[in-house]
Amino acid sequence: MVNYFFLITLLPLIGFLVNGIFGYKIKNEKVAGIIGSGTILGSFIIALIAFFQLLGMPAEQRTITVTLFQWITAGSFNISAAYLIDPLSVVMSLIITGVGFLIHVYSIGYMHGDRGFARFFAFLNLFIFAMLNLVLGDNFLLMFLGWEGVGLCSYLLIGFWYEKKFTGDAANKAFWVNRIGDLGFMIAMFYILVNFGSLNFGAVFGAAGSSIAPGSTLITVITILLFVGATGKSAQIPLFIWLPDAMAGPTPVSALIHAATMVTAGVYMVARCSILFALAPFTMDLILAIGALTAFFAATIAVTQNDIKKILAYSTVSQLGFMFMALGAGAFSTGIFHVTTHAFFKALMFLGAGSVIHSMHEEQDVMNMGGLKNKMKVTFLTFLMGGIAISGIPPFSGFFSKDEILTNVYLSGNYLFFGLGVLTAFMTAFYIFRLIGLTFYGNPRYDEHKTHPHESPKVMTIPLIILAVLSVIGGFIGLPHIVGPNLIDHFLEPVFASARTILPVHHIEAGTEIMLIVISVFVAVVGIFLAYRAYAKAYKPEVSRNPVYNFVQNKYKVDEFYNAVIVTPLRMLSNLLYKFFDLIVIDGIVNGSGKFFTSLSGDWRKMQTGVIQDYAVISVAGIIAIIIFVLLVVK
Amino acid sequence: MGINYFLILALLLFSIGVAGVLLRRNAIIVFMCIELMLNSVNLVFVSFSSYLGNSIGQIFVFFIMTVAAAEAAVGLAIIIALFRNKETINIDEINILKW
Amino acid sequence: MLTQQILDGLSKFYPETILSVTILVIVFVELFFKKKTRVSGWIAMAGLAAAMLFTFLQVNIPAQTIFFQMVAVDPFSYFFKVLLILSGFLIVLFTFLSDEIRSSEFKTQEYYALLIALTLGGFLMASSVNLLMMYLALELSSLSSYVLAGYFKKSNRSSEAALKYVIYGGVSSGLMLFGISLIYGICGSLDMFAISAYLSANPVNLITLLIAIFLMLAGFGYKISAVPFHFWTPDVYEGSPMPVTALLSVSSKAAGFAMLIRFFLVAFQNAGHPTITTEGLHQYITLPGLHWPEVIAVIAVATMTLGNVVAIWQDNLKRLLAYSSIAQAGYMLLAFVVVSPQGISAMLTYLAVYLFMNLGAFFAAILISNKYKTENIEEMKGIGYRSPLLCVSMAVFMLSLSGIPMTAGFIGKFYIFSALINNGYIWLAIIGLMNSVVSLYYYIKILKNMFLIRPQGDTGAVSFGAGYSVLLLALAIPTIVLGIFFGPLTKFAEYSVQIFGLK
Repeated sequence: MVNYFFLITLLPLIGFLVNGIFGYKIKNEKVAGIIGSGTILGSFIIALIAFFQLLGMPAEQRTITVTLFQWITAGSFNISAAYLIDPLSVVMSLIITGVGFLIHVYSIGYMHGDRGFARFFAFLNLFIFAMLNLVLGDNFLLMFLGWEGVGLCSYLLIGFWYEKKFTGDAANKAFWVNRIGDLGFMIAMFYILVNFGSLNFGAVFGAAGSSIAPGSTLITVITILLFVGATGKSAQIPLFIWLPDAMAGPTPVSALIHAATMVTAGVYMVARCSILFALAPFTMDLILAIGALTAFFAATIAVTQNDIKKILAYSTVSQLGFMFMALGAGAFSTGIFHVTTHAFFKALMFLGAGSVIHSMHEEQDVMNMGGLKNKMKVTFLTFLMGGIAISGIPPFSGFFSKDEILTNVYLSGNYLFFGLGVLTAFMTAFYIFRLIGLTFYGNPRYDEHKTHPHESPKVMTIPLIILAVLSVIGGFIGLPHIVGPNLIDHFLEPVFASARTILPVHHIEAGTEIMLIVISVFVAVVGIFLAYRAYAKAYKPEVSRNPVYNFVQNKYKVDEFYNAVIVTPLRMLSNLLYKFFDLIVIDGIVNGSGKFFTSLSGDWRKMQTGVIQDYAVISVAGIIAIIIFVLLVVK
Repeated sequence: MGINYFLILALLLFSIGVAGVLLRRNAIIVFMCIELMLNSVNLVFVSFSSYLGNSIGQIFVFFIMTVAAAEAAVGLAIIIALFRNKETINIDEINILKW
Repeated sequence: MLTQQILDGLSKFYPETILSVTILVIVFVELFFKKKTRVSGWIAMAGLAAAMLFTFLQVNIPAQTIFFQMVAVDPFSYFFKVLLILSGFLIVLFTFLSDEIRSSEFKTQEYYALLIALTLGGFLMASSVNLLMMYLALELSSLSSYVLAGYFKKSNRSSEAALKYVIYGGVSSGLMLFGISLIYGICGSLDMFAISAYLSANPVNLITLLIAIFLMLAGFGYKISAVPFHFWTPDVYEGSPMPVTALLSVSSKAAGFAMLIRFFLVAFQNAGHPTITTEGLHQYITLPGLHWPEVIAVIAVATMTLGNVVAIWQDNLKRLLAYSSIAQAGYMLLAFVVVSPQGISAMLTYLAVYLFMNLGAFFAAILISNKYKTENIEEMKGIGYRSPLLCVSMAVFMLSLSGIPMTAGFIGKFYIFSALINNGYIWLAIIGLMNSVVSLYYYIKILKNMFLIRPQGDTGAVSFGAGYSVLLLALAIPTIVLGIFFGPLTKFAEYSVQIFGLK
């Protein structure tokens, strides 16, 4: 059988090269857009084929390794560039290419008229390429390359409108915060290489499963370092500060990178290394705690924000917290399930927000919107679907995944975090419907003479409709036990089988399950009701004087805290070092050696007099010198 | 007669050739000096050939003569081209390409 | 018997035969197509393609010598044949696309015949196992390059370059011949295997042998432009037409390295140690008291240091590339310090990546001079904004030449330095690394002018035809790809280390 699965990643690369190299020649936007989205569609189709091929195989044999070439061979250490196609990577690839394709199509409309049109599509394709390498790579090194690649693309795309100073700052912030996380990942990789002698997933996981004692220091350190990497990429406490600022980029970028795909890389990585994490109970508890706290904190911030994209950004951070709660509770497949449903509804809401922003002429403050539901019917209805989904109202997709997470946390016995989770679920419903109320209901609070909101073109609304449909029905792949079969859990089972043998098994009674469902539906309904009461009417914005509210609205002053505690002392230190060490010592050496070589160069080139006989004299003298030297030595 | 006399003669010729290349200013004479170097090598080959009693050295001499002729042809053609451009074949003055 | 051997030899000599026929055909065709300059170019390409095809057919021939131990057919020569044909092919394309050549009033077609002759000379240099054959091959390639360097008859610079080249080449080959004659006198043979056998069986006068070796080194050093035999390089490179410069910097240098490696490894493998018969040689145990690796190391360090340092001051792009190519030869010589298979394969790897990055840099220089009519770096300010594709490719070549990771040049340097470190020459690796830092200075200077300084005056975009872009990418993409996906190349290089006659 010819293995053509490498095309999954190759096609986006081709798209990137074509748009990147010939972009400035492609005057027609449609061509660039079609190349950009067509390549992703192709990848999606091949990923689908891979998916069905896996389905056709017996459950425990569902892995295909596609070796491209021997990459690095140095003695016994060798790494091949190979792709691992198994249920986990296929699910991720389907999300990345499927949602990615819809966002590409949407971008054709959204970026219409931008002078960097082809460049934008080139970067998006490069991002998809890197992201696919991240999830498909069969060793840590390839994963890390993808990891760095998506970081780079994220940086390029946040700063896409580089004329604005703010975007550049946001890009830098994202870059540096991610760098801290990457450092953790890199050190972890080094530890793995030293201790297991390989970076190949199969080899490392096999060795870990058979030779590492659960809870040993080594595995705890490795997993904590890996998790530090994940907190950077997936915006968890304490490294979540970059994600809200990253909203400075174009909205499709926020939807694709900062909601649906890249930020879930940390979740994927933990799930991929499930066996390592399963062996480190301490790290698992840490992940659960960090996830629950992040979910809660971000949700409280989201309640007080007024920028439509910022609300969604904090919501994303909060939902990522939910995913990590699932991982921390040992429910890896549930985490991936939430990744899937979240990709649907969060991409939908970001794109919907983009559509609103587009028609409001770049207005992002929900306080200056209102009453849009009649003017933008499709956007409103699809956004509403997304809102219901994220709030967790059955049978919308978000309900199933969120309920499953809460159930698992409950079963793991951490009732405190379970309580936090329920509280967060309540706030989620509240802030999303606050957003919907302020944006689509009530009275218009913008200048109706200047701004005329209108529905977006079809190329933008059709992706919205498709995503809305997915947000509604996407949850049926993971039904609760009492209702029906959990397809996604079953499909992913072989990947997590070895981790599951280590983790404790929980059994759930039907009564408990029904109780949990009732709780989570109840809090969602209450949240929606309260938000509706407060915001879905003629609303007059007022400045709050409540200090607690202001504190939360200022994002708990985390940025300021980091500034005061870390950035400022570091800057002082580096300033000191700069003045003392850099300016005097390093610059002295650098400038000195620069001057030295320049003057040396000026002297030596004088040998090249231009007269051939001088050359011959030096050469003959050279030979004679060598011969004399040799004669002296030989004797 | 021992082979050393021939070798010393050849060495002298070779040195004269090298010195000529290094010192003379006329490009044609420089070429002649290169020919002198090659011919001294021919002398070495021939004398070794007769000393060792094998013919390989003499065969080499024929090839060197041929190549030397070709080299002289190319060299003289280049000198003519240069003379047309610069009206000089004085090597000291041919130095626009330097540093 | 005699005819049988000759016929047998000929059957393994197809690539060379094809090139010889191509030369004759071009000379003949020129009589009929005086006006159509491209005809002979196409013939040259066809000849090169056919030679490539027949070279590929040789891949599985067992290593052997043909024509009474004159020429070897082995993986080592195979490697260089592929390299030389590739380079020749690209140079023909460069010539097609160079305005400098197109607008020249001399549309003589010998150009292509000479180009093929140079390639043929390179073939024979890489495969000759007899000093007579080696000398003839060297002269064939040199004589063609003299004429090519002076191709612009009416240009002062071109003819001056040719004259300097021919005088310098003449002296060098004279010195080398003197060395050969001494070796003949010592060993009584010109056959490398016989020389090796004689030296390992009989005591010889060491001093004479050493003088002979170093005289010969002058010939090799001139071909690969190693210090102190490098002086012709900057002048000739600057004065010659740009495609010819590119050809000299790659083909002629690669062939010089092939000759150097084969001669020293085969002829001197047992020299001076009549009592020791070492198996699996591949290391210098040559002459007692003479620390051969140190001599080569000193030459290599001097070569790259001089090349890099003097390049800093240059503002003519061609001349800068000339010094850069001297420095590059220094890096390759470093690999020759370690003559284990690891060292040689590192050198071959470097040569292969050097082909792409250096030809790429020259092609970018050709395009710049086509469109902007300048070779001066100071006049290239801001052209990165006017021709992005060209300048980004140039950036790739420059970064690769300086050895930045993720480029082919890094892989080349990586293998050379790791060979050095593996064999205990850490200080050499450090000097090499420091040199590549120095080299960054002038490579970056070009990029700084292209990208960081806004264009003055005319700022319109300048683009090229599709053919130019395709060729540019055909050089830039391997330069990147070989930096990531280099397995096959290093495998090929390791395979090509088999030199006939080495145990």
